[in-house]
Amino acid sequence: MSSRGRRQYLALLRKDLRLEFRTRETVVAMGLFSLVIIILFEFTIAERVGNTAPIAGGIIWATLALGAVLGVGRTWVPEREQRVLDAILIAPVSRLILMSARTTALVIYLLGVQVVVVPLAVIFFVNGTSPVNLLLIAGVCVLADLCIGIMGALLASMSVFSRTRELVLPVLLLPSLIPVIITAGGATDAVLSPSRQMAEYRGYCLFLAVYAVIFALVAYATFDYILDD
Amino acid sequence: MTPEEDALVDARGVVRSFGGRRAVDGVDLCVRPGERVAVVGPNGAGKTTLLRILATLLRPDAGTLVIAGAAIPKQSQSAREHIGYLGHDPMVYLDLTAQQNLELFCDLYGVADPRERIAAALGHVGLLARTHDPVRTFSRGMAQRLGIARLTLHAPRLLLLDEPYTGLDTQGTRILDELLAGLGDREAVVVVTHELDRALELAGEVVVMRAGRVAARVGTAGVGLDRFRADYLELTA
Repeated sequence: MSSRGRRQYLALLRKDLRLEFRTRETVVAMGLFSLVIIILFEFTIAERVGNTAPIAGGIIWATLALGAVLGVGRTWVPEREQRVLDAILIAPVSRLILMSARTTALVIYLLGVQVVVVPLAVIFFVNGTSPVNLLLIAGVCVLADLCIGIMGALLASMSVFSRTRELVLPVLLLPSLIPVIITAGGATDAVLSPSRQMAEYRGYCLFLAVYAVIFALVAYATFDYILDD
Repeated sequence: MTPEEDALVDARGVVRSFGGRRAVDGVDLCVRPGERVAVVGPNGAGKTTLLRILATLLRPDAGTLVIAGAAIPKQSQSAREHIGYLGHDPMVYLDLTAQQNLELFCDLYGVADPRERIAAALGHVGLLARTHDPVRTFSRGMAQRLGIARLTLHAPRLLLLDEPYTGLDTQGTRILDELLAGLGDREAVVVVTHELDRALELAGEVVVMRAGRVAARVGTAGVGLDRFRADYLELTA
């Protein structure tokens, strides 16, 4: 990235974080929504199944994916509501930089939510775990968030011009994240299993990294066309 | 040098359709440095669509378009360096301060010495005292003045203005008038407006649009408002 591109990327990211810091609309909504889903799972599944440890990874990642839909749905909302989108699109900024800044902001929001939600979910569904396991899950979060961030930024940009974006976005986003949710859930379960399955964990993480690369390539190939008209 | 080579806008046969309806239908437009062009016409004539095409916000379906020597859409990013666009809205973030908004656009346009440029721009539009206030606390006119400051930050050579006087108070109107009057021979202006008197006052040439096409081009030298209004009504009837 050129120094001009780096300046643009940092400016766009700083703007997103400033807006979020001032309004606290996205992270708080995602966090509260995720907590509500965890409580729902606790009462609807954990109460009946008893031992939820073997399925905790799936529960955690289904929760985080649903919460992510809210965050992704907020993408481009300030630009749309405050009619700034034209000013951003007319600036001489590569669409790849626009998308990279958006992706980074989404990843930061997701990590901000997960710092609270994941330990809480582990307490609810696994009755606690070691700090090392939480660190390993943090690694899964970073990789999965990268996938969600890239795909979220791409699909949010596709739906920003759609009249039915509130409907279109979840319908497109959740199916495209199914492999990510399954893989991240698998990696989390591998960590949380009584005898930590590191080989399995590494395999799942590798899959997540591959998904991130594939998503990035898809975004790279299409983003210019999506935002240019 | 042919006129097209130094033109800031060279549009030939530009077409843009929405759902089968041609909003812009084979428009030719050439705007050279130093020229001021007003685009007038009734609602739905294609004025704003044409301006958005010139601003690289919409791709033409057919025809060729060159902005500041850059072929659109292939070299849009290069063309955007030279474009300043102001619409009905100020196009600034309400939850950021005036300074933060202008900092963002300085960074996007690679403006050198952003602090000095921002202070100068805010001083020019009379908002220096509100530098660190969120735009949400501004009146409509003040926000629009901030939009004018945003417009001028990167010293664009091609100003595209869509009803720029909408929402401006007396002070804002004066500031915009001064800005346009102060432009030199390097810059060109294309302004879309409904106000015929302002079109005559601002522009050397008025393009009258009707149903997506250019119905007439009128040089404004020596043309009175009454005669122009009568001609306009006849052309757009």
